[in-house]
Amino acid sequence: MKVSVSSLYQAVELNQEIPPLLIGERCNPNGSKAFREALLAEDWDSCLKMALDQEARGAQVLDLCVAYAGRDELSDMNTLVKLFAGSCKAPLMLDSTSPETLSAVLPLYPGRAIINSINLEDGGANLDKICALAKKYGAAVVALTITEEGMALTCEKKVAAAKEIYRLAVEKHGLRAQDILFDLLTFTVGSGDEKMRDAAIQTLDAIKQVKKELPGVGFTLGVSNISFGLRPAARKVLNSVFLHEAVAAGLNTAIVDAAKVLPYVAISDEDRQLCLDLLFNRSDDALMNFIEHFEQAVEESDEEESDTLLEEQLRQKVLKGDKEGLEDLLTELRGRWQPLDIINGLLVPAMREVGELFGRGELLLPFVLQSAEVMKQSVNLLEPYMEKLSDEGRTSILLATVAGDVHDIGKNLVDIILSNNGYKVHNIGIKVPAEEIIAKAKELQVDVVGLSGLLVKSALLMKENMLQFQAAGLTQPVLLGGAALTPKFVAEDCVPGYENQVVYCADAFAGLKAIRDFESGSLQSTRWESAAVAANKPGPQQEGIDRSQIPPSVPFLGEKIIEDLPAEPLFNYLNQAALFRGRWGYRRGKMSKEEYAELTDKTVLPLYARLKDQALSENWLQPKVAYGYFDCCSEGDSLLVHSTSGEKRFDFPRQPAPPHLCIADYFRSAEEGGDKVGFFVVTIGDRLAEMTSELYASDSYHDYLMLHGLGVELTDGLAEYWHEQMRIEMGLQQQAQADVAAYVAQGYQGSRYGFGYPACPDLEAHLPLFELVKAQQIGVGLTESFEMVPEMSTSAIVVHHPQAKYFAV
Amino acid sequence: MRYICTCCGYTYDPAKGDEMNQVAPGVEFDDLPDSWVCPLCYATKDQFDPLD
Repeated sequence: MKVSVSSLYQAVELNQEIPPLLIGERCNPNGSKAFREALLAEDWDSCLKMALDQEARGAQVLDLCVAYAGRDELSDMNTLVKLFAGSCKAPLMLDSTSPETLSAVLPLYPGRAIINSINLEDGGANLDKICALAKKYGAAVVALTITEEGMALTCEKKVAAAKEIYRLAVEKHGLRAQDILFDLLTFTVGSGDEKMRDAAIQTLDAIKQVKKELPGVGFTLGVSNISFGLRPAARKVLNSVFLHEAVAAGLNTAIVDAAKVLPYVAISDEDRQLCLDLLFNRSDDALMNFIEHFEQAVEESDEEESDTLLEEQLRQKVLKGDKEGLEDLLTELRGRWQPLDIINGLLVPAMREVGELFGRGELLLPFVLQSAEVMKQSVNLLEPYMEKLSDEGRTSILLATVAGDVHDIGKNLVDIILSNNGYKVHNIGIKVPAEEIIAKAKELQVDVVGLSGLLVKSALLMKENMLQFQAAGLTQPVLLGGAALTPKFVAEDCVPGYENQVVYCADAFAGLKAIRDFESGSLQSTRWESAAVAANKPGPQQEGIDRSQIPPSVPFLGEKIIEDLPAEPLFNYLNQAALFRGRWGYRRGKMSKEEYAELTDKTVLPLYARLKDQALSENWLQPKVAYGYFDCCSEGDSLLVHSTSGEKRFDFPRQPAPPHLCIADYFRSAEEGGDKVGFFVVTIGDRLAEMTSELYASDSYHDYLMLHGLGVELTDGLAEYWHEQMRIEMGLQQQAQADVAAYVAQGYQGSRYGFGYPACPDLEAHLPLFELVKAQQIGVGLTESFEMVPEMSTSAIVVHHPQAKYFAV
Repeated sequence: MRYICTCCGYTYDPAKGDEMNQVAPGVEFDDLPDSWVCPLCYATKDQFDPLD
């Protein structure tokens, strides 16, 4: 019969194909000094690290014990079970004999746990309570053969105690035989105590007998007790031989330090014989012979034992994004491997794993970037010891943000992921015209070209680029990524223009997958089934627009510059959901609500608070506004704006499908009496943009993403703030509310439409806009393709009509 | 269960539906068509996080 326990992430069979199932014992203050210290210091991260380390070293289930003098077991268990449940793949063994503690934490655990443990020390009162809990929560239970007389030392007493526990647990409490794991206890054969010479035999015999008399039950054993009092090097061998014998007797799980289990075949015949003589009490001198023999053995400290696992440690560093001690670790690894082998054999596979975890939603973007930082720093540390990484044979990729587009975070994330997966990336920057991309692709003889761009216009430009690439004779596959792209657009508009593959990539890892497909010869152009879904075009559904809306009174006509804005209020208008989940990538994914709340409280909010403090105390932000109110009237799809510098014309697109919305419709025509319109350009200055470039240049990928995201959302916060100011000035709103949740859903009169966005995608409108509000006075300029610089600026037309809401043309 | 748009913070609440996309109250997020997008920023369904 298959019997499993489970964590949030996976089920693990108690009866492994190759027994035993290894239960990690290190998270126990009574058995591990490091864990004790972490527990006493309430250093929960270190506690978790020990759990994850055990997993990495092969533990399939994790024992967790926090009972320690002076500590509150219930509270500590509560904290750690929640932490471990979300982070450990291995199911937990809840090591407590307190029904109160167990009843508090069992409901928190999102899987099938094992309770460790029940016994008959008090005659069965505790056992009754814990078995009831096991039944209620479907947990498995470890049962120790301890009775009112004490620990069962002989086979006979062990079996008798087991039968009594079985009777109570199964017949009285309705547990199933397979729910019970008997720990028949073992004691050291290393003490020289005459009475204990056959301790191993008693335990092994008891396993065989209980297995026969109580079919279906499982077993576990604290294996290392067998060697208590002996030297570490000797213990490791004796424990491993004893484990081998116990498994032969029927043991299916074992509580061990998974890192210290030696494969049986790795133990020499001589060592085996000495161990077996001692375990099976084959001669009076067995213990002395054993000790003498292992006296010669190299004293192994904990450090040396971890030597064998240096490679694993490096993998863990990458997976956890942990740079601590990286230099020492790499120095040691260089003693075993060539630097290039460390990169290709250890680091690259670890990064591949990171990508897979991200793909499965088990690792969030900020952590991926920390992993990439470890990768990058490792390569930097290795480079002095090797010839420069040869580009020969490495797949090379040209990356560029297309002409007219200044957005580089997406392209740079792709660069980070690709270059830290061992590929040669030529990142040639932003606003790159097709001619330059073609020239560079030829000159550098790259294997693949990747184009990026955020704007709606960039998507259209990519379509044109395909034709230009084709005409210029490029043959490399082209990968396309960007916010305004869809697989449908790529398949229908870009693929036909270019003979070779054109592939839509939703994120950096899709790009990585495409490169791997290219290498394996399986890269294919993006296809789009026209029968498949076409995206909705949401928006107001009204038939007609009320023509009788009276224009608001405006405080002045013409433009105004505001340069002395304090930065702090912007944070009240910052959209935290968009920043945390969208820009920063702290998505909930597979986490429970509680786990996500914990991530938010422990990681995200503290980071946000720290950045906010720094931004204010170090003056990262220089918020400035150029805005104005103008007389205007609509004329067909256009808006004519009157100003002292003459009439400006804004042409707006109209939806081709019902309800055929167009921004101009929200304004009265000249015949209807004309109207009023507002415009603004806001910026937080260029300081933050400079800082983000520096972070990117210094490979601080994580901070780069965080700061960039903060800047973009603060810019939007400033726009939200200023839009509110303008509503107040126009009498559309009484006072400042800074209600971000309401503003997200346009809970106000009118709308602000950003140029370059779906209702008015044409950036050329920036030309008349800039003439109207004189945005150059606040340091904002336009690129040749009418994008604003610095990047952290935004613009809008402010519409007062109550029916005006977001829509897409 | 309510869902939140990770791009703009819009919350889809089945109790309210989504007028901009002509979705009546009572439709669970999982039952929205694949073509459904955020009514405010046009993010696709896979860009939403569960909220409750």
